[in-house]
Amino acid sequence: MAETYDFLFKFLVIGSAGTGKSCLLHQFIENKFKQDSNHTIGVEFGSRVVNVGGKTVKLQIWDTAGQERFRSVTRSYYRGAAGALLVYDITSRETYNSLAAWLTDARTLASPNIVVILCGNKKDLDPEREVTFLEASRFAQENELMFLETSALTGENVEEAFLKCARTILNKIDSGELDPERMGSGIQYGDASLRQLRQPRSAQAVAPQPCGC
Amino acid sequence: TMAASPALLFGDRNLLPRKQSARLDKQNDLGWKLFGKVPLRENAQKDSKKTQKEYEDKVGRPSKPPSPKQNVRKNLDFEPLSTTALILEDRPANLPAKPAEEAQKHRQQYEEMVVQAKKRELKEAQRRKKQLEERCRVEESIGNAVLTWNNEILPNWETMWCSRKVRDLWWQGIPPSVRGKVWSLAIGNELNITHELFDICLARAKERWRSLSTGGSELENEDAGFSAADREASLELIKLDISRTFPNLCIFQQGGPYHDMLHSILGAYTCYRPDVGYVQGMSFIAAVLILNLDTADAFIAFSNLLNKPCQMAFFRVDHGLMLTYFAAFEVFFEENLPKLFAHFKKNNLTPDIYLIDWIFTLYSKSLPLDLACRIWDVFCRDGEEFLFRTALGILKLFEDILTKMDFIHMAQFLTRLPEDLPAEELFASIATIQMQSRNKKWAQVLTALQKDSREMEKGSPALRH
Repeated sequence: MAETYDFLFKFLVIGSAGTGKSCLLHQFIENKFKQDSNHTIGVEFGSRVVNVGGKTVKLQIWDTAGQERFRSVTRSYYRGAAGALLVYDITSRETYNSLAAWLTDARTLASPNIVVILCGNKKDLDPEREVTFLEASRFAQENELMFLETSALTGENVEEAFLKCARTILNKIDSGELDPERMGSGIQYGDASLRQLRQPRSAQAVAPQPCGC
Repeated sequence: TMAASPALLFGDRNLLPRKQSARLDKQNDLGWKLFGKVPLRENAQKDSKKTQKEYEDKVGRPSKPPSPKQNVRKNLDFEPLSTTALILEDRPANLPAKPAEEAQKHRQQYEEMVVQAKKRELKEAQRRKKQLEERCRVEESIGNAVLTWNNEILPNWETMWCSRKVRDLWWQGIPPSVRGKVWSLAIGNELNITHELFDICLARAKERWRSLSTGGSELENEDAGFSAADREASLELIKLDISRTFPNLCIFQQGGPYHDMLHSILGAYTCYRPDVGYVQGMSFIAAVLILNLDTADAFIAFSNLLNKPCQMAFFRVDHGLMLTYFAAFEVFFEENLPKLFAHFKKNNLTPDIYLIDWIFTLYSKSLPLDLACRIWDVFCRDGEEFLFRTALGILKLFEDILTKMDFIHMAQFLTRLPEDLPAEELFASIATIQMQSRNKKWAQVLTALQKDSREMEKGSPALRH
């Protein structure tokens, strides 16, 4: 377990039941589609070390149950999350309609600064689409979210969603907008960056990179 | 001798170099040792020499002094008959002949291989015999258990079920053929649900599915407070979750033999208890019951099972009460596994992270199905306490590896247990867990904690979850 990384980010995957949250996580971790998928009861986990803008970041991902009824339980997992994938199903308007409630939960329970990326999943089922790209991207703009349409089946944009979220958090750390040392930031230093921190501050200052969103 | 006989098939001509080598060996032991490996056992060397001797005797020719011409073969003018032939054959003509020492070494290695193979075969036969005997023994004991359950225990249920003998038999696992019956009896029917009541609830559920699929308005108003959208969402979710219940068994999914039964039980339950409705996790419980009982009896067991205090607390998602259960669990966790408990605390690994899945699905999602059924066996006998005892048994079984893990690895491990979790080891581990803390039993600890939390709520309503 001797992993070295600069940062550890706590991520959430939230959204209504059946939108493909666990499948997105599985695709991101295992690089394949989860065929025989159970539904998540409570919470499941995944982790992966990624390289973003020259930094190694360990993502600790909490994949939550989607049923409304479980919200009182899953809410307790929001604390200290740095990023979230907010997932809906492009073939189900109902899952889209509940986005606002999920987002409120994330911002009030995790942190107002939580970096959220909206994921319109099941992009491969375009003929059955009930939510247009335009409509969802407007919602994303109004709520200051990043936005991607993803497919856990084909893997399209899955890696991008996680990396984009991680990159934005790193940029916010660099610009000082996020303070990793604040309690409940959802960010921890890894061994690698602790070593760097002992060096003079100027040496580790990195100019914020354009995130390309 | 076994090694020599196939070589005889090839005729005299090919044998010469070997005879020469044998001769050389006898004359010059040092040469043999220089070129070949020193044999492991004295015997092996002796045996091979003896073989060589017999070999020469059979051929019936004294060895001649080596002639350089004979060391090189012109053509490979025959087909080797087997791998044995290949091993004992000399090198192809275009290569220099095997040195005598090497040929001797190869023969010896071959003989050793044959001896090893024979040994392996004998061992394998013994193993198979043992396995067969073991299987017969298990089958016989299951057969005996079935007889005992059917002829002695079930007819005298009321008087026998809590006897020492029955408890012991119960712990070893209920035979699948009587499992459903035993579960039904043990769970009981406090709610007095009849087959007719099931039919009524099912008919209502079907009416509702029809009215929703035709987009018609609600037929009844009696469930006021639950909007049509809510109910529709719940029915949709049942459909979705059935396809995601034991998907690898391929029997509950659309078109599978048990799909309609699972759909019926969950649908009927939402009509029987609209205040609870469908909650994720229920489909796993209903599925396990269906595998052991007829539909109506499965429904009766399902409703009564969910009506037990622990299950009601969880399926109503009464967070405050759930936290009380977790707190009680932690009391026994600390008592039984203080080191691991401290390690979990240090890493902020709270019990809800793994217990929610385990308790909601009664381990049917997280353990192999046959093992889960054995947990259910004892859960039906001992009640909710056994669910938490099982959890501690699992933690104890993996204590050594868990104490070496950090938060995320523990969380991943516990929410995805090893698929080959050994049943006997787990039950042995569970058996060592003491469900007593400072002379207090599970129920007493739980009641005390519930009283505390009620008082806290009264004292400061703001703290309510």
